[in-house]
Amino acid sequence: MTATWVQVLAGYLHLLAVAVYVGGSIAMEFVLGPAQSYVPPAQAQVIGQRSADRFLVLVWGALALFPISGLLLFFSLGDQHTLSGMQFFTTRYGQTLLGMIVLWAVLVVNGAIITFVLRPRLAQRASAQGGGSGVAQRLEVMQSAVKWVSHISRIDLGIAVVIVLLGASLAYGDGIL
Amino acid sequence: MRVALGFLFTLAWAVYLGGALAMELVWRPVQRDIPPSQIGAMCRWMGRRYRWLGLGALGLAAVTWLAWRGLGGTVLLASRPAAAVPPAASGWPVAAMVACWGCLAAMVLAMGVLLHPRSHARWRAGAHAADAAAARRRKVRALRTMDVLLRVELAVALSTTALVVLPSGPRIGWAA
Repeated sequence: MTATWVQVLAGYLHLLAVAVYVGGSIAMEFVLGPAQSYVPPAQAQVIGQRSADRFLVLVWGALALFPISGLLLFFSLGDQHTLSGMQFFTTRYGQTLLGMIVLWAVLVVNGAIITFVLRPRLAQRASAQGGGSGVAQRLEVMQSAVKWVSHISRIDLGIAVVIVLLGASLAYGDGIL
Repeated sequence: MRVALGFLFTLAWAVYLGGALAMELVWRPVQRDIPPSQIGAMCRWMGRRYRWLGLGALGLAAVTWLAWRGLGGTVLLASRPAAAVPPAASGWPVAAMVACWGCLAAMVLAMGVLLHPRSHARWRAGAHAADAAAARRRKVRALRTMDVLLRVELAVALSTTALVVLPSGPRIGWAA
């Protein structure tokens, strides 16, 4: 009985994490992002910054929830026997799970790059310090950061969709790798 | 086929629920620091796009679930004999899930087709004062109703997610 409720809780949290990451990214990328072109650029920058700050909190929460709920689900389903010894590398089930873990790690690395490298660059203000060339240089750094954040976000969305596909193949089959 | 349906259902539900969560937890708080005229400009465009995204995701979830039912409606975890999964898609969780889906579709439709256009209604500069006041009242009422509906929608969506993962529930979309 307890195991069943652990399964339900783990399944719920896992699905919630997927929703926050995938659905949230789609809403940010295809709804909230383009809508910013309907307000003046300065205001759009403020909206973009605040919404990204808030969404990053959700993203990190979801990334943390994936392994926690995944492990809970894995052990509550009694799947340990399927991955004993070298089965992690030799069976389709193990290889698919390994693929999901590797892709999750890529999402974490990309998330860290956005949060700790690119976002601080975007938060810089183009002050007059350093003269005209300093302002131009800072603007160039910011534009480059915007471009990279956009590229990485789209790549992350693609990776997350592939993870969902791998997850579905484990839940309804025996893996696809 | 089972994998494809499970994948599409999970994706559709994730898009719908995640979109609702992002709107509530990201967009709503951000609105507090923006001038109302600019919120209006963004909301008008976002509402139109989000209506199709929400309805599309709900529609895809329904179609994949019905197809799943057509295939027998049970979760066959062939690689997991220890899981002892009971036959799925039976009893009150399924009925509750269908009812919740109906409520969600009705709410998204009501917001997209009725309330959202009303909340952006404009009145002509030369309109009669009484007409303008009535239009303004309708607009405020639509905005308030939408505000409440959005929260109810999120609560129903979160409850439906719980029904999806219940052992006696449909179980489809349970990507683990």
